[in-house]
Amino acid sequence: MLKFFVAAFIIFIYLPAFLVILLSFEQSSSIALPITGFTLDWYVKKPVGYESPAFVSLLYDYGFWDALVNSVRTSLVVAAFTAIIVTSSALALRHRVKGRDLLFYALLLGFIIPGVTLGLGSTFFYSILGMEYSFWSVVLINTVYTVPFGLILMMARFDPDLMEYEKAASALKANPMNVLRKITFPLIKWEIISATIFGFLLSWGELIRTQFMLKGLGTLSVFIYTQLSVYPLTPKWYAAGTLVSVIAFSALAILAFLLARGAR
Amino acid sequence: MKPAETISKYSSYILLAPGLIASFIGVIVPLAILAPISFYKYRFPEIIPEFTLENYLGYLFSAKTGTILLNTFGLSFMTCLLCFAVAYPIAYTLSFKIRSPRFKTYVVSLLMVPFLIDWSIRTVAWISVLGERGLINYFLTSTGISATPQKFLFSPIALIVIWLQTYTLFMMFPIYLAMQRINLDYIRAAQVLRAPPHRIQYEIVFKLSMPGILTGFIFVFVSTLGDFVTPSLWAGGIQTLGLSIAVFAGNYLWTQAAAMSTIMLAITLLALYILVKVGKIKKLVYER
Repeated sequence: MLKFFVAAFIIFIYLPAFLVILLSFEQSSSIALPITGFTLDWYVKKPVGYESPAFVSLLYDYGFWDALVNSVRTSLVVAAFTAIIVTSSALALRHRVKGRDLLFYALLLGFIIPGVTLGLGSTFFYSILGMEYSFWSVVLINTVYTVPFGLILMMARFDPDLMEYEKAASALKANPMNVLRKITFPLIKWEIISATIFGFLLSWGELIRTQFMLKGLGTLSVFIYTQLSVYPLTPKWYAAGTLVSVIAFSALAILAFLLARGAR
Repeated sequence: MKPAETISKYSSYILLAPGLIASFIGVIVPLAILAPISFYKYRFPEIIPEFTLENYLGYLFSAKTGTILLNTFGLSFMTCLLCFAVAYPIAYTLSFKIRSPRFKTYVVSLLMVPFLIDWSIRTVAWISVLGERGLINYFLTSTGISATPQKFLFSPIALIVIWLQTYTLFMMFPIYLAMQRINLDYIRAAQVLRAPPHRIQYEIVFKLSMPGILTGFIFVFVSTLGDFVTPSLWAGGIQTLGLSIAVFAGNYLWTQAAAMSTIMLAITLLALYILVKVGKIKKLVYER
């Protein structure tokens, strides 16, 4: 009974994604069921003369590809930062350091503060610095957003015996660097990899905060959002969604595989 | 204290530095700038650093304010409740009904996907389900249940459905973490003492999941509070606090946007206080 409920919920959350993929092959230019015919036009058709961006196929929409490159760059850098910050913070927070709770909450702030508030505050901050719409402001606002997820995920999954192993190694006079290299990292490497992928995926889909930080093309999310607020919705955007989701799904499949591998 | 331990304590602070620096520059400084600006005067395009309360007063005495606040809290709270109704049974199933850890991980990953799909795409995807020519209306009209297509989009229903899909994960995850920490011996002991199942459910499972439930409520609440994109697209003209901030900022009314953001910030800090004092989020993560 309960398992059916879980299955039903999974269907509910996947339904739109399946329809996006299905309707991206729709022949007519409206989002409507039933499907009238299959076509690949929204993906690869060469445009004839000028066409509104809503009708240019994905392959020939250069704005889309530029935004995709921006997204990949941003997400990769955010993922790297997330991995470093999450790993080092999680390792530190295992110890009963003074002010641990306060420090932990300080790290969660980027997620707790509503996106629109943080976005606006950051707009002011970077305009005072004269650094509006820079790549690094996007990276930073995404990193503070992804770190809390990674941190909670990683700390909750830490092997309870990890500290015992480290203590044993220290008692046997291993120096701290060696403990880190030979004991700690091998035992948490899957958690580090998961946190990295999680950081990539979260910043890949982030819109609310990023939207404040970018003008022009922005990342894919911002690009699609701005385009949709100007141009009509056609299956072209569903084609874009299919492509973008395939990338996210692949990353998630890797993540699932890794998590299952490390599952105890 | 032994010297080795002292070193590890100092190194802990060094390890925390990258995260704290990011949090400081990325969150605390922007907010510290935001709050004073809400008290400044504004003559387009300059922000004049003179103290004034007009940004707040203009907002507080506007006729729309009551409706906006009611919408914001009503919609957010409704979403929280629905997310809880969905997330609790799922977290329960994951914690107590699925044995294989590998299968469990796959289910968790499956649940994570929708949150990770591109934001814009995820919201427009719902047109194909809720739209006038979408899946539900196709079903309704072709089976003859309804002669004309129903209007689901651009209404609070659409907003809540989309939020439910997006944020249930934020509710499920903390509850799941809390349930993971329930000592199964308590349940066995209660069974041995012939406690009726509903009392085991309430007195042990529900009460011990409470930190997770509260954390989930706050996570979903602040996320919906800060999400102006979904209401702007799908709520059908319903104003929320987040949306008004975005609209003010979009019209370069910076100081008023800052004032409303500060109000939202105050609400959030209150939520954070509850999270710390009552929710005890740290218990989910590092205190055993």
